[in-house]
Amino acid sequence: MDTIAANDLLKAILVIVSGAIGTYLLLPHRLGLLKPLIAQRIGAGLVAIAILAFALLWRAPGEWIAGGFFYLFAITALAGAILTITSRSPVYSALWFASVILSTSGLFLLCGAQFLAAGTVIVYAGAIVVTFLFVIMLAQIEKQAVYDRSARNPARATFTSYLLLWSLIYALLAIQSSATSDEPHILEKRLVRGERMISFHGLPVDSRQGAVAVKAYPPTGRLPSTDARSELGLHVAGLGGTLFTDHLVSVELAGSLLFVALVGALAIASPKPPIRPGAVSAADPGTA
Amino acid sequence: MPNAFTFDMLTNYLMIGAALMALGMLGFLTRRNLIVMFLCAEMMLQGTALTLTAFGRYHGNWTGQVFTIVILTVAACEASIALALILILFNRKSSLDVSLWQEIRETGTPAYAEVPADAAPADEVEGPETYPHLTPAGLEPAHPSTPWIERRD
Repeated sequence: MDTIAANDLLKAILVIVSGAIGTYLLLPHRLGLLKPLIAQRIGAGLVAIAILAFALLWRAPGEWIAGGFFYLFAITALAGAILTITSRSPVYSALWFASVILSTSGLFLLCGAQFLAAGTVIVYAGAIVVTFLFVIMLAQIEKQAVYDRSARNPARATFTSYLLLWSLIYALLAIQSSATSDEPHILEKRLVRGERMISFHGLPVDSRQGAVAVKAYPPTGRLPSTDARSELGLHVAGLGGTLFTDHLVSVELAGSLLFVALVGALAIASPKPPIRPGAVSAADPGTA
Repeated sequence: MPNAFTFDMLTNYLMIGAALMALGMLGFLTRRNLIVMFLCAEMMLQGTALTLTAFGRYHGNWTGQVFTIVILTVAACEASIALALILILFNRKSSLDVSLWQEIRETGTPAYAEVPADAAPADEVEGPETYPHLTPAGLEPAHPSTPWIERRD
């Protein structure tokens, strides 16, 4: 039976309760009515309290400069996410989503995925620009539409989402509480790091299972160690190496998927005249 | 040598990923604008990508990042298809409201009550429809078009 420290449990409850109430106050009204300004201010304050309590749940993110950037990116991502889902105007939603993307790529950078950080910025920058075009093209006809000012079942959706968040945080805290003591938690011992995988399960290398384990963990699949400047220390080279040796089929599949999506998008969105009953015979009487 | 990416740091990243996922789900459930719903789906994908990358870093292999690259590809495909669909849905109803499309919901599900008054129902078209009989997955909308056999040529 896992026991969570009362301190952590209190902070998690604070995150969930004040976050849920604050998000509900910030969301648009169910019928599209105007919410009073005081409700919005209280909601913003509660969400800020929830994010700060959530930040207090995180533990020891490395040395001070990496830790500072971690807190900066994480809090920006969460605040941007709240503002994305509560903004009345889709233009502001897209802008706040851009801040979520930028801070998420900062977090990618902090956990050692440089190529992914750059790729996320490039891909999502294009996606957000296109979304902007769509918003300007489609949604700016009337100033603020009724469907932007009203929400579907905000109370029930808030309850469901924060229930999901509560269960996830609770599960993570249950592991974390014992991990801080000297004896590592049983789940943490199960979560073997890659380099200890073969020795942990005690597989002899010459047996069949051992051969499978060695094959499943090839040297190209390992992250470069940060201290030794070996030839594996090149980040993009290592990622390309594992992409084009261990995951070649996935790369080909991804390329095919992109092509299929291109064809599908063209087939869906190409400007065709709408087909009406009788239009075929009227337009082309020779073949009809 | 202790690994620099400790278990506590993994938990931090997992918590942020979980929060992004839950908030994206909240937005997807509540908002009625199709474009905002699309952005919220992308936000859920971001939370998942963060989780996968942190797990890959913890285990010391590239698998999480490779998986995230595949997710990025799928997200790009999803964006192209979703924006094309949003375009033609807007052309049909001249509105980005998702509640206008609730006639294609699951059979037997009650309608969402708070539809604005300008939500006109789709006009019915008389005549036989020669669609094949499939397992009902929802109410079939009214088709203002010819049967599909006549559309071939």
